[in-house]
Amino acid sequence: MSGPVIIFDNVHKSYRGVKAVDGISFDVPPSICFGLLGRNGAGKSTILRILYRKAERDSTPSSTVSVFGFDPERDELAIKCRSGVVPQEDNLDEELDVTQNLLVFAKLYGMPRPQAEARIAELLDFMELGEKHRANIRELSGGMKRRLVIVRALLNQPRLLILDEPTTGLDPQVRHSIWEKLRQLKRGGLTIMLTTHYMDEAFQLCDDVLIVEKGQAVLRGNPKALVEQHIERYVLELTEMTQAQQVLAQLSLSDARVERSDESLRIYAGDYGGLQRLSDQLAPGEHHLRPCTLEDVFLKATGRRLDARQ
Amino acid sequence: MRDSEPRVAGLASRLFSIWYRHMRVYTRNLISNGLPPFLEPVIFLLGVGLGLGRYIASMDGVPYLVFLATALPVTSAMFTSAYECTFGTFVRLEFQKSYDGMIAAPVTVADLFVGEVLWAGTKGLFFSACVVIVMAAFGALPLPMGVVAVPIGFLTGAMFGALSLLVTSFVKNINHFNFYFTGFLSPMFFFSGTVFPLNSLPRAIRPLAELMPLTHAIRLTRDPTLARFSGVLLADLAFLVLVTIVAAHLAIRRLRRRIVV
Repeated sequence: MSGPVIIFDNVHKSYRGVKAVDGISFDVPPSICFGLLGRNGAGKSTILRILYRKAERDSTPSSTVSVFGFDPERDELAIKCRSGVVPQEDNLDEELDVTQNLLVFAKLYGMPRPQAEARIAELLDFMELGEKHRANIRELSGGMKRRLVIVRALLNQPRLLILDEPTTGLDPQVRHSIWEKLRQLKRGGLTIMLTTHYMDEAFQLCDDVLIVEKGQAVLRGNPKALVEQHIERYVLELTEMTQAQQVLAQLSLSDARVERSDESLRIYAGDYGGLQRLSDQLAPGEHHLRPCTLEDVFLKATGRRLDARQ
Repeated sequence: MRDSEPRVAGLASRLFSIWYRHMRVYTRNLISNGLPPFLEPVIFLLGVGLGLGRYIASMDGVPYLVFLATALPVTSAMFTSAYECTFGTFVRLEFQKSYDGMIAAPVTVADLFVGEVLWAGTKGLFFSACVVIVMAAFGALPLPMGVVAVPIGFLTGAMFGALSLLVTSFVKNINHFNFYFTGFLSPMFFFSGTVFPLNSLPRAIRPLAELMPLTHAIRLTRDPTLARFSGVLLADLAFLVLVTIVAAHLAIRRLRRRIVV
């Protein structure tokens, strides 16, 4: 397969008059990790749901959705048997144990029992859950449940893995372990599509990200390239305003960009030395000079203020 | 990555996989789920045999115990499938989000609920079979024709499964199922020929009793068991099948909007 795995062209979706997705277009080539970034309510999850017909797009004539060449509204089953989905909530069957949960899903995928058992054992080992194969769902920690849902999504050897906030609420060890597994899967040729609001996660995993704001595409690109091209290299942050006037008075950098709110001041610039000299003059306290990250790009692109959907 | 093109499983296999999920969950607690369907008719027999039966010797030309035994298998099927497809379905839909998980696998919303109606039928079959076994063991149910209650139990379970799914599709608050149980199912238990024959109802009310789905299920069980055959039975059978199909169809359309958003 050489063409894009996913094509999204001018897609709209409204809920009772509110536009959740407002004319989004993008495509995802095979064997990459594609990330959707955006605040809560930006429309990320809706985009994922449209891919496997958990949601239906508005019937705008000019809009197209294609996954492996199939339109979800006509061939949802063809898409679903090639994809694995990790939804935002761990909707495991609490009435069944770990292996039974997976056996039920293997059945939904039409896998013969011996093949299903072998695959389950292999995947539980891969996600380091081998010892838990007979555990009840309630006995599992949040991280184990998440890994189990990933195992469930991988049962049918998908070519596309869809993850809605894969590591939200998990501790750093589990997050890093999940990232490693996802990278391993990608190297094996899997296409991964995820949503996240952790910029470090997007930076670690994604080859390509799309920043979404109020259902619209704001910025797209490789995370490292976005940091290089869309933001100054360094930022001096003051999280206490007592010295703000002093800093602003002494600011003489030509390319500096100032961002201020009631409680904080940020000076972005490409000249590290200039920011360093500025910071040296400040009394020790709540200020910090650091390189800019994807989070700074994200906040610049989407704004710092909260909106009604958050 | 797999080597071959993945294949979409056929309809029968998809429905079976949904059915299999429910069966796995149900059989996980064999004792607590499997014993009551036997105990209930035993308790009923004791109550009626020791008490009520002494006052009412016969009903509609047969011993009262026999009269009851020819209805109880299907009322049992009705109640079990109604619970399964109201409280059970609602919990899966709203609390456990089971359908959200299952729908990510290659099954459609229609598959989910047709599979569920088949499961409700299976539970109906199991519950009626339990009642048949107990009643027959105590000599209250004429054999071999009494066994007809078992397949009719399947149809009854499927029909009330489909009707209950339709009710569930309207319910946003789990407590509202009380209206369905006390307002519809319990009255139906009494006015569908379970405990007294319909011809003792006032003439004006009788057509109303014919609208009750349970009436048809009971007649389909009682009449063949008592060797009473007529063309009405075919109409009863058609009624059961038709109500099941129409209710399931409407329920799927409405539930679809709660799952695919």
